[in-house]
Amino acid sequence: MSILIKLAMGELKRLVRYKILPVSLATAIIWIVFFLFLSETEALEIAPLLIIVDAAAMSILLLGASHHLEKQEGTIRTMMVMPVSLGQILTAKTAASMVLALESAVVTSAALFFIHGITFNYGLLLLFVAIAGAAHAAIGFFISLRSRDFTYMLVLLMAYMFLFTIPSFLLNLGLIDVKYEWLLMLSPSHSASRLIISAVTGDFDLVLTTAGCLYLILLTAVLFKFTVYPMFKDNAARG
Amino acid sequence: MGAAFNVENLTFKYPSSGEDTIKGISFDVLEGEIFGLLGPSGAGKSTTQKILIKLLEDYRGTIKYFGRSLNSMDNSFYEEIGVGFEVPVHFSKLTALENMKFFSGFYKKTANIQELMERVGLWEYRDVKVGEFSKGMKVRLNFVRAMLNNPRVLFLDEVTNGLDPKNARIIKDMIAEYRADGGTVFLSTHLMNDVEQLCDRIAFCVNGRLVETSTPRELKLKYGKREVKVEYRENGTIASAVFPLDGIGFNDEFQKLLKSGKIETIHSGETSMEEIFIIVTGVELK
Ligand SMILES: Nc1ncnc2c1ncn2[C@@H]1O[C@H](COP(=O)(O)OP(=O)(O)OP(=O)(O)O)[C@@H](O)[C@H]1O
Ligand SMILES: [Mg+2]
Repeated sequence: MSILIKLAMGELKRLVRYKILPVSLATAIIWIVFFLFLSETEALEIAPLLIIVDAAAMSILLLGASHHLEKQEGTIRTMMVMPVSLGQILTAKTAASMVLALESAVVTSAALFFIHGITFNYGLLLLFVAIAGAAHAAIGFFISLRSRDFTYMLVLLMAYMFLFTIPSFLLNLGLIDVKYEWLLMLSPSHSASRLIISAVTGDFDLVLTTAGCLYLILLTAVLFKFTVYPMFKDNAARG
Repeated sequence: MGAAFNVENLTFKYPSSGEDTIKGISFDVLEGEIFGLLGPSGAGKSTTQKILIKLLEDYRGTIKYFGRSLNSMDNSFYEEIGVGFEVPVHFSKLTALENMKFFSGFYKKTANIQELMERVGLWEYRDVKVGEFSKGMKVRLNFVRAMLNNPRVLFLDEVTNGLDPKNARIIKDMIAEYRADGGTVFLSTHLMNDVEQLCDRIAFCVNGRLVETSTPRELKLKYGKREVKVEYRENGTIASAVFPLDGIGFNDEFQKLLKSGKIETIHSGETSMEEIFIIVTGVELK
């Protein structure tokens, strides 16, 4: 078994043991019960939101929680003295956090199909969820590495949500003109929601969607290369 | 015998602290020896260990690992070393055995987990979650973790801290056996017992500097007082007297006491390592 697979399996096992995966699955299923009482149009409006919340906010929250827990347990430190590279450790953690985002996308898609018979381009949705999930995992690392403890991390997460979701709200309320939407794309959560809504509704703006994809990929790369990667080892060694 | 580590003029500063934490220390850890770094809390022992295991990298000075620059070593370095940290390093919601199997899975050559866990008395608790372990059990599991890859060099930070005497004894025996099989040990501690019973050489570390590096025997010869303390019964109470060890065979008073038959105890008054540490460094070990 390759090192990367062993690391990722370890991460997944812990997601189950620390009850994170079961809880996230249970939440997704509870939401789906609501679908039973919604019309087809309503369900189609709510579904992308559920997926976005899991791919964005939940990804950050989860990474932060597990980062601070592992720091407290001292396990990051002992993993850094194994013949494993930092890149492999970070990749495995990111993959595990993407599994959670994908899990909620799959559950939600299944509910839309079985309850309302709605289908859409699943390949595209999974691709977009993966891109959005990876970007928010990077943001999650970034926020965790800059916070002393979990409480402080929650404060930073709130600040992030406030800063980046308010403009999206204003846009939805019509308080920001649609012609400025390209500016909002700078907000990772707005880009993410743009992608996921496009995939679920099939309603595409090719330029904005492509731009969103590229932007999120670039953001992921930059965050990992210039902040997460250099800070992670220091953080583990000193902790 | 070659050196496992050559450390020359090592200096290190944490970015957040005002002054250097390690202030230009030099020492060698010889292959096959148990090298002890002894010093009070905050002296810089754990920091030194973290530098040697490549966790802290922005140091100045040179460090060689079996003749090669430590900086040039890649991840295969970690195949060769075993690290025991001073704090527990386990997934608390996984069992002890799950933890050990997970870590052991990343090494090319591995020790027998069952043998190690049996030895430290943890095998019967293998299916218990580490979160439910006592402090001493976690310390013992840390030691097993350090031994998982049959390391060539073993790093141990406060390895017996929080252990009862029986378990401390078991761990010390295992360290001695590991050395007898050719292993090299870098041990840092503030506990005299560890050092006196295990180490081939000791470095006294105070406030980021090494004050003296020597063998326990030489230190005792150099700083120890050579005398004999006798306790004896006199008029219904216990009295005591101290005699210099040199020329004791011709000491009349001592001879008279011996013949009187009133002696209760005789101790050779060796200076303890702890006292020597204070004499050499002027600082108490705490
Ligand atoms: N992450 C850090 N950032 C800044 N200073 C630190 C950090 N870790 C340790 N120090 C400081 O460096 C000094 C040496 O610490 P170190 O942990 O190496 O001591 P030690 O000899 O291992 O002590 P102990 O016996 O208590 O384990 C202390 O003054 C400590 O406050
Ligand atoms: Mg220490």
